[in-house]
Amino acid sequence: MMLRVPLFSAWVERFLESSLWSLALKEVRQIFRNKQLIFLLIFPPTVQLLIYGFALSPEVHFLKMGVVDYAHSPTSRELVAALTENRIFTAESYFDSEQELGDRVRRGNLTAGLVIPPEFDRHLKRNEPAEVQLFIDGVDANAAGIANGYASQIINQFSRHLTTPPIQALVVPQVIFLYNPGLISSWFFVPGVMGVVLTLTSVLVSATAVIREKDMGTLEQLLMTPAQDWEILAAKIVPLFLLLMADVLLALGMGAFIFRLPFRGNLPMYLLVSGLYICVGVGIGILLATYAKNQQQVVLTAFFINLPLIQTSGSIAPIESMPAFFRFLAWFNPLRHYVAIIRGFLLRGVGVGVLWQHVLVLGIIAVILLGLSIRKFRKQLS
Amino acid sequence: MRRVLAQSKKELTQFGRDRLTVALAFVLPLATLLIFGFAIRLEAQNIPLAIQDFDNSPLSRAYIERIFATNQFQPVDWGTRDPLQQALDPGVAKAAVIIPPNFSRQIKVGIPVEVQVLVDGTDVNNARVIRNSINATTQFFLRESGLQTQPPNIDLQSRIWFNPGRQEALYIVPGTIAVILWIYPSLLAAIAMVREKEQGTIIQIYASNLSAIELLVGKGLAYLLVGLGQAIVIMGISFLLFGLRLAGDPTPLLLGTPLFVVVAVTFGLVVGIRATNQNASVQVVATLGFLTAFLLSGFIYPLSNIPFPLSLISNIVPTRYYIPIIRDAFVRGAGWPGIWFDVVMILLLGLLLFNLAGRSLRRMQLPD
Repeated sequence: MMLRVPLFSAWVERFLESSLWSLALKEVRQIFRNKQLIFLLIFPPTVQLLIYGFALSPEVHFLKMGVVDYAHSPTSRELVAALTENRIFTAESYFDSEQELGDRVRRGNLTAGLVIPPEFDRHLKRNEPAEVQLFIDGVDANAAGIANGYASQIINQFSRHLTTPPIQALVVPQVIFLYNPGLISSWFFVPGVMGVVLTLTSVLVSATAVIREKDMGTLEQLLMTPAQDWEILAAKIVPLFLLLMADVLLALGMGAFIFRLPFRGNLPMYLLVSGLYICVGVGIGILLATYAKNQQQVVLTAFFINLPLIQTSGSIAPIESMPAFFRFLAWFNPLRHYVAIIRGFLLRGVGVGVLWQHVLVLGIIAVILLGLSIRKFRKQLS
Repeated sequence: MRRVLAQSKKELTQFGRDRLTVALAFVLPLATLLIFGFAIRLEAQNIPLAIQDFDNSPLSRAYIERIFATNQFQPVDWGTRDPLQQALDPGVAKAAVIIPPNFSRQIKVGIPVEVQVLVDGTDVNNARVIRNSINATTQFFLRESGLQTQPPNIDLQSRIWFNPGRQEALYIVPGTIAVILWIYPSLLAAIAMVREKEQGTIIQIYASNLSAIELLVGKGLAYLLVGLGQAIVIMGISFLLFGLRLAGDPTPLLLGTPLFVVVAVTFGLVVGIRATNQNASVQVVATLGFLTAFLLSGFIYPLSNIPFPLSLISNIVPTRYYIPIIRDAFVRGAGWPGIWFDVVMILLLGLLLFNLAGRSLRRMQLPD
């Protein structure tokens, strides 16, 4: 035991004297002096998480419905009440003619129109099917489909309760939603955006850090120092890596405290996989910076690499609904795997054991990207 | 006027010379259109569904067949012994149906039977779609198989207007065009303005007798032309690839599009005037412009779903007013009565931005 302590301190001493350490120190100082970088690390992730998390909501509710009730009977009023009860539709206004109602829907003032014919009660009394018309504005195809489904379920149920005794459906599906029983929208979007934000930040920050050196011509100065080129690069990457890890925690904290997201997996494991993903982002960033001529090109290209990366990641629209070609492309999208991993840890409460495929692909992509970017960077150095 | 034209001609020549910006102007909008147009689909198809049939009778098999007949689900091979959790946890199946052993027996004697449906709730939207679909097929199954003989008392005749096939492309593509026509013209204008400052050529303008308004109009005109070129190209491609057709009176679109592009360009110019360097301006246009146009405009989900403080911001997002115009032109086809207000709002926002641009320019010590 006694022998190990001096050995350890000697190792520390050697490390502190190494050029890696002093380069890293220089890098950290530069980062903290660079207000733009600090801004990039904190501001965009926060704003994006907030806007995405609050603004995106696929819920179908409060659809404005206009009613033409020719029947004017207690049953027809009950029917309208049944449709508006669960706040999917709101009975916005009543009209005297179908024509008028149709005009309002056509103009987009109303999303749905219900027409109850005059012979509604007569048919019901004679036990004949009474026809009721519902038209839904299909411009929003997704919402129209869901609203239509709700309407037919509500009317079906209402219809069954009209006879005495009410007819019971013989098969009753008992639907249980797993992982997000309340179907809270932000639980779907926020984990996706956590991945998006980390991508945007890590690519941009690492690219800027490298290209600045190029822009200002200080890269040559670095080459003059006795440091090895791997030390130059490592000194660049390690502080950034730590800062980006702080971003991961920032996003996680916002998710937990603002959006009340659960975290059902293993935290250290999650951080480890996130670290892997940061390597991917940093790899893309450095690669970009070595190819680009100036900072402007970096920022622009980064913006346009990120666009397809985000769109095919499943963070906003599910991958299953994409055409086969895009589903295939998505396999090469590191963000897609990371988003699947985040959702796995946060919502499903599964670990690497279940998500190993995604982790594996992520690892392969990280190795390739980092390897490529390091090689490219070294070539530029020499 | 001549000076304005000369200014925009110079701007266009400069624009044509820089290959990166030309790519930015035409290749990237196209790429965006293709990616958004093809990849954003909210409703899932071929949802993997696992079934555990503990009854294994002709009736339960008929029920299963009915479920898969909708083409919305794809069967996942899953034994009755393996716990379903293992299929749902990794996402191998997005939903599971458990048919109890007494399924057919209970139905035959008329006792309601419960079928358990487990739905993966991580994708909130499709969780709802799956539930609706299972409920609807169950009703259909009961009616078709003659198990529930009593006819339904109320016969709901529902029709979906404007887009009867519920093609999602008709919803997504017009919105995508709006987002594209917002981001790219504003980005180009911002870059052009900043370049003038970074390269120091703004001094030449100070020295010339060009007034602030003339400079603005000249640059604006040049990028309006570029923006209109983009509009024609992407609308043409949408016509060919996504089957977008005019649904009614095209005049609101013909008037609204140039107006909207002018607003986008003016926004870009304002950002360019205010920004200190090109990075900052790109960053502002990219994050602020893109985020608001993408998220606070009703592009993906209905505007009414945006909660309170954010909904206020969405009132000043121009894209929010252009999306109804373009959706009306290509899907609804009602024309002026439904959307005159949106055109007016774009006009108002444009005037506001132009005013802002003029004032910021004057602060940059340009003669008036």
